[in-house]
Formats: sequence, structure tokens, C-alpha cells
Amino acid sequence: MIKKVFEKPLNLLETIFFLDFIKGLAVTFKQGVSKTITTHYPYEKLTPPKRFRGFFGHKIVDGFEPQPAFDEWVERMKIEPQKGASRCVVCYLCKKACPVPDLFEIDGKKLENGKKVVSVFNMNLMLCTFCGLCVDACPVDCLFQSDIHETASFTRRDAILDLQKLETIGKSWQQRREEEPDRIWIDDEARDVLWRENKLKLPKVDNA
Amino acid sequence: MSIIALAIIIVIKIVVILLVILGIGAYLTLVERKVAAHIQRRPGPMVVGWHGLLQPLADGIKLLTKEDILPSSADKILYNFAIIMALVPASLVFAVVPFGPEVHVLGYDIKPILTDVNIGIILAFAFGSLAVYGVALSGWASNSKYALVGALRKAGIIISYEVVITFAALGPIMLAKSLSTYDIVMAQIHQKVWYIFLQPISFVVFVFALLAETGRVPFDIQEAEAELVTGFTVEYGGMKFGLFPLVEWYVEVLSLSAILTVLYLGGWSAINIPFVGFIDPFFFLGAWSGFLWFIIKVSLLFLLILWLHWTLPRYRIDQITGIAWKVMLPLALFNILISAIIAPLLRG
Repeated sequence: MIKKVFEKPLNLLETIFFLDFIKGLAVTFKQGVSKTITTHYPYEKLTPPKRFRGFFGHKIVDGFEPQPAFDEWVERMKIEPQKGASRCVVCYLCKKACPVPDLFEIDGKKLENGKKVVSVFNMNLMLCTFCGLCVDACPVDCLFQSDIHETASFTRRDAILDLQKLETIGKSWQQRREEEPDRIWIDDEARDVLWRENKLKLPKVDNA
Repeated sequence: MSIIALAIIIVIKIVVILLVILGIGAYLTLVERKVAAHIQRRPGPMVVGWHGLLQPLADGIKLLTKEDILPSSADKILYNFAIIMALVPASLVFAVVPFGPEVHVLGYDIKPILTDVNIGIILAFAFGSLAVYGVALSGWASNSKYALVGALRKAGIIISYEVVITFAALGPIMLAKSLSTYDIVMAQIHQKVWYIFLQPISFVVFVFALLAETGRVPFDIQEAEAELVTGFTVEYGGMKFGLFPLVEWYVEVLSLSAILTVLYLGGWSAINIPFVGFIDPFFFLGAWSGFLWFIIKVSLLFLLILWLHWTLPRYRIDQITGIAWKVMLPLALFNILISAIIAPLLRG
């Protein structure tokens, strides 16, 4: 059923004394004397949430890799993990997951002992939509999206992330935000409660 | 007083008034931006100088260094003449505005009014309505649909509200028995009453007409950013573009606020208790406290207009003219009737 809502006409008193004007003026006065709610941007900056989809990075081998997935993939791809370098196992799963064909450029090089390490990992972010499919595909929690979002640059070359840049971003991220609890907003208690209350109880899938 | 001394005094008055009005007009842009920003809960300009105090200078430099573009199909003479027609009449209104009481400077008695003509109020309204030529000419000369529509709307509004504002001002004129702005203020001081207490209807009508004449919200239909992309200024660029809002929104608002202060708020007189007297907290300034009171009254009026501007939505053009002819004009005429009754009862 359609409910018709009619505009309530002003009575004579309201018309003579501009009561609707005065109501509006009271609202703007209250807003006018209250504190401003803006961020003075180039001088003040907000911290994005931890799950923010910004520039990409490579987490480095530091002893906190997801186990047993990392060891399995290292064994399968015959990788020599190096402390302080990228966790990448050159599995090409991110390249396969990416909807853009030419975005990733990945290559590994053979060491003398027959094992491999990643040597080339270029991401051309001019083509990227920041959908995060590559991050979901990464089996060893290596590729991730950081909170870096001020990415304007003077040349197109700066939009291409190479292995060195990715590792730098990853190192700084692990220092700054690895320990942080995984919430949408860091300090939002009310939202946290809401998320816990609404936790879905999905039926267990029987594979057998 | 010799002729030379008189000429020097007049020249000094002209220079001071022009500099003060145009300088204040430029700085009112900052006031407007700050007020608008705080009503929308943001701080406004903050970067240039302390809390953006140098912003008008930066804006001025930016506007001056921009390229001066003439639309190819515009009428070149009228296009440039329109700016003069907008700026000059609006500034000329200040010739009849009394800023304060008579003061003694270096042995001369100086009235702080450029010309105390005996038809001051009529002169002010005549110059006020001349300002429509600037808008109409700019709209026609730009050869653009938006500009023409905006100019026609402005012309329609001015024609309606010039009648209303004159009839509204008739009330105080009848009570003061004078058309000279200086004498109207003196009459209010002698009768010990601001005319706002005797003429509340006329005051409201005058404020409405002021808003309409200066193109302020809720009557800014000739600019109408959303539909007309600021109307008649659309083809202007650089400083030529900057002058139109300066004139319309600041100089005209200032001049009409000054006229309103003279007519209803007792000009330079201090706080009034009707028929009892005046209370002056700034008595220690002597005659100069009058200037302070005048400035306070005009700035409060300007802030009220800004407050209205950033609160209210816009009326339609037919509603605006409808209000003018069907509501405001009968009210103003009714007010003349009341004035005719109470005018003989006042002494002075």
C-alpha cells in the first residue's frame, strides 16, 4: 500500500513570526559554535584500518610465517628461504588470480645448490584495480595490501613496484602494524561487538 | 572655513571611505568563508597566514594574474562598461551614509558624512536600483544564455523589491520628518527611540528587500549555482569576475546595512531603551564611541545576513516576485498607515 505524505502547512502564527526560519537558524547556530570535525589533511593524517587496500608489499621471512603452509610450499617449489628477504615461493598463483594479463612479471633464479629464490617481481599498478584477488591467492601470506594510499608520482615508472620496493613496504608494515588486532577500525568497540554478535554459524561441509 | 580647507577635507573623506569600503569588502570574503565553513563544521581557509588571515590578498593576486578573456561574440564595450556600472553606483551609496556624530579635528567641525544632502535616502535607493544596470548589461553583453537568464531574473527582482524597499523606508522618514540620513539619526536621538521599536513590520520588510536586492539567499535566484552556474558572471574571468561578487555580496550589503542602521537602529547612537534614553558602555571614548556603535551594528547585521545565507534554501523566481507584490508591498502600505497615526504623537 502506498502511504501518501502531505506537507504540513504552516499555521498563521508560524507564518507571521518565521518560526520555520528560526528553527533552521537555531540548527546552523548550534553547528556553527560547535567544534569542527575535519582533518587538516597535509598536516594531520588519519590512520587507515588494517584491512585497507592500498599499495602492495611482500612480507619478509622472519619466523612468523603461516605453518605448515610455508614449509610445504618451500619444499614443493624447491625454494631457499632467506632470512630478511621476501617470502615469495614463485608459485605464480597471484599472476593466475589476477584479472589483468600483464600486471605481474615474476621470475625466479636457480642457485648453485639447485634451489630457487625469487629474482623478479614487478607489479604494474597502472593496470591494477586493487581488487585483492592476488592477495587472497597467495598461499604463504607473502603478498599483502598495506595502508599506503598517497601514491601520486611524477613518472609512470614510479607506478611499477619491483621486488626491492615491495620488500621495503613489507618490512615497514611488519614493524608498524603486524601486532594490531584485525578490526575494521582500530578503536571502534561498538562495531567490534556488532561483529561478534552477528558471527555466522555455517554448517560444516562434509567432504567424505 | 576656507574653500581650500573644505576641498581638502572632502578629498580626505573620499579617499578614506573608498579605501575602507573596498578594503573591508575584500576582507569580508574571508569572513564569509569562515562563517560558511563553521556552519558546515569545517575550519575554512587555514593555510595562508594565521587562520587564513592573508587569504584575500592571495585571492587578489591570483585573480589579477589570470588571463583576461573576452568571449568572441560578446559586445566589447558593454562587457567592460557593465563592471563600472556595477561598481560605481554601489560605492556611491556611501556618500550619504553618516558614520558617526560630528567631531572636532584640528579645530574643524567635521561631519563624518560625505554629502549631507536633504534627499539622502532617495539618493541611496536611486543608486541601489542603478546597480541593476551592471547586471543587466553584463548579462546582455556576455551573449550567453545563462548570463542573460540570470540578468533578467535580477532585473525582475530589483523592479519588485525597489518598490517595496522605498515604501518600507517611508515609515521612518515620516517619523523623522526628513529625508536626510544625518537628520533621521538625529531625530531618533532626540525622540529617544530607535525606529525598529515603532516600525517592526517595516523592519522585516526592509530586511527581506535587502536580501533580495543584494542577491543573498533565500533570493539568490539570479546566481543559482546549481541551475545557472552563477548567472551573469559566467562569461567573466580574472579580476573582472572577482569584482561582481565583491560589489553584489559585500559592498551592496554593507551599504544597505548602513542605510538600515540609519533608518531603524539609530545610526551611531548607543543601546536604546525606548522613550527613556541611551546606555553607552563606551562612554569613555567620548564622541568617538558613535563610530564604534555604527561599526558594531553594521557588522552584526552583516553576520545576520551571512547566517541567513548559509541556513536557508532558495525560493523560486515566481515565489520571490509573489512575496514582493502580494505580501511585502501590502505590509509596507499598512505600515505607512500606522506611521501616519503615530507620527504626530512623537515630539521633535
